[in-house]
Amino acid sequence: MEKFKLKVFRYDPTKDDKPYYQTYELPVEKGMTVLAALFKAKEEQDPSISFRYNCRAAICGSCAVRINGHATLACKVQVKHMLEKYNTDTLVIEPTGNIKPLKDLVYDMDWVVDKLKKIQPWFIPKEEPPADGKEYRQDPYDHHKIDFASDCILCNSCMSDCNALKANKDFLGPMVISKAYRFIADSRDGAKRERLEAVLKDFNLEWCVRCMECTTRCPKEVQPYENIIRTRIIAAEEGFKSPGEIHAEIFEQDIYSRGLLNEMLLPMRQEGLLGAAKRAPFGIRMFFKGKVNIADFFGGHKVKRHDEVKKIMDKAKEVKKNIKIRLVSDVHTPYEDNRKSKQGG
Amino acid sequence: MALKYAFYTGCSAKGVAPELYDSTKLVAEKLGMELIELEAATCCGAGAVQEKDEFLSLTINARNLALAEELGLDMLTICNTCTLMLREAKFKLDNDPELKAAVNEVLKEAGLEYKGTIEVTHFLWEVIDAVGLDKIKSMVVRPLREFNIAPFYGCHIIRPPYLTGYEDPDNPSSIERLIEALGGNPVDHDARLACCGFHSFWSAEDKVTLKLTAMDTQAAKKQQADFMVTPCPLCHTQLDAMQPEAEEKIGVNIGMPVLHLPQMIGLAIGLKPKELGLHKHVISTKAIVEKVA
Repeated sequence: MEKFKLKVFRYDPTKDDKPYYQTYELPVEKGMTVLAALFKAKEEQDPSISFRYNCRAAICGSCAVRINGHATLACKVQVKHMLEKYNTDTLVIEPTGNIKPLKDLVYDMDWVVDKLKKIQPWFIPKEEPPADGKEYRQDPYDHHKIDFASDCILCNSCMSDCNALKANKDFLGPMVISKAYRFIADSRDGAKRERLEAVLKDFNLEWCVRCMECTTRCPKEVQPYENIIRTRIIAAEEGFKSPGEIHAEIFEQDIYSRGLLNEMLLPMRQEGLLGAAKRAPFGIRMFFKGKVNIADFFGGHKVKRHDEVKKIMDKAKEVKKNIKIRLVSDVHTPYEDNRKSKQGG
Repeated sequence: MALKYAFYTGCSAKGVAPELYDSTKLVAEKLGMELIELEAATCCGAGAVQEKDEFLSLTINARNLALAEELGLDMLTICNTCTLMLREAKFKLDNDPELKAAVNEVLKEAGLEYKGTIEVTHFLWEVIDAVGLDKIKSMVVRPLREFNIAPFYGCHIIRPPYLTGYEDPDNPSSIERLIEALGGNPVDHDARLACCGFHSFWSAEDKVTLKLTAMDTQAAKKQQADFMVTPCPLCHTQLDAMQPEAEEKIGVNIGMPVLHLPQMIGLAIGLKPKELGLHKHVISTKAIVEKVA
């Protein structure tokens, strides 16, 4: 039988000065998941390997690890497929990223719990239960809005590969904001503003870099990135002012008044005169490199047929009121370029 | 077959990255790609309008797509975020007839209609698939053999899969294959698939953005890259124009030049550094220019 190498991150803070990697050679068995491979290594070669697991069916969220650099549930992916995906004979198994490892693949969950507490991840009813003794009821579209967000199993895959968290551990992170959204957008919940205030503290919500790692990683189609964006939309609707909201407003105004963004006037409009003054060294540098379009300081030019744009934007505001946009249900099946299907693949 | 595209420039190539616009036009012409510029196209919303008013962003991009449909040409972009925003609009409209009808009710106001007949694609993908690496190889007159080149994909050309789909987001190889076709040496580095931080600049410049910019450029430097290359002008602005701020932030000199994808191709197929706008970079490209001379 074909063999492969399982290269496992090892670290025991009571014994080791620093982490190291240990490699186990195993057969590529039919249908073998990465979790099953970890078990095989533990049972047959080295009982000292530590890892978390429980359901083995991608339901409990305990076994998230990084495989060749990307987080996923060890029980959800097969060894054979991973070897093919990375075109390799070695799978490197590490604890999820951004999180302090406790021992081998087991990581410290406390910091996530502390973050979750800030957004009160439980239902706080808006009103008393219905008098007829039945449950709180909800319009189907209102439910649709939180349907995917409700599926989160707190597995940490998204937190692991989040670029904003990599830069700053104080970011609440996709899992936590997504969980907040699940209640913020719940028509039955009564703590919308408190939760929005919690995620908007220091504009934390807007530290998200839109790298799309969270949505790409999530094994349950929760779409944390999309939930972050929906939270931002709700915050704007609720009248919260933030750098991101101002930024969006500038883009909208520029499309409405000329079509393209006026990058030259952006800093002043974003941060005011004083803020723009802080950007002077940057501006001067850009000027001397020939990257500054002087005409833009006086408004610049409009795109052709710009009259269409105004008409469309005005009308969109009106039509929008009657539209219920459905969420995308599958964010993992790769986009199919329809030219390829036309050519027969 | 002649390669002809509706050319969507985006704001950056018309604003802070004029060298991207110029080098794209020059290289496309040499590679036999005819670009019909969509001069009536607007900004794609860049993710900013999208996080305030989703329906508005969809209608704006439905108009952009309809402009390419008028020409009957697929839309070629040169910015990862533009690609993603236009693909997002196309995907949502093509998969939701009610939404498409509502958007068309809006477009009718300007005598336009979105049909869903054209594709949105990126310069990188077309160079590889439509022009072809064999043809590129045959056009190389100045192989980049002494250069160690660090690919920086930029998020929005690989993630999320339902809107990109060109290659595996966890293990892409298009830029490496292109570098090899140009005779260069692709170097593996920790930030190959990382984020430049651009999109949180105004909210988290110090807390997030500049830290990522520093990590990315340092990762390339650690592997002795001569320069980084990116298919996205937003990554370029962040990694090149904001690199001095990132250096200041961490108190370390980095000095990592960053090239736009068409600039790298241009150097290998015999275009001059000056016409490709290499002098318009913030981080000096002098060492590269001297080597290719």
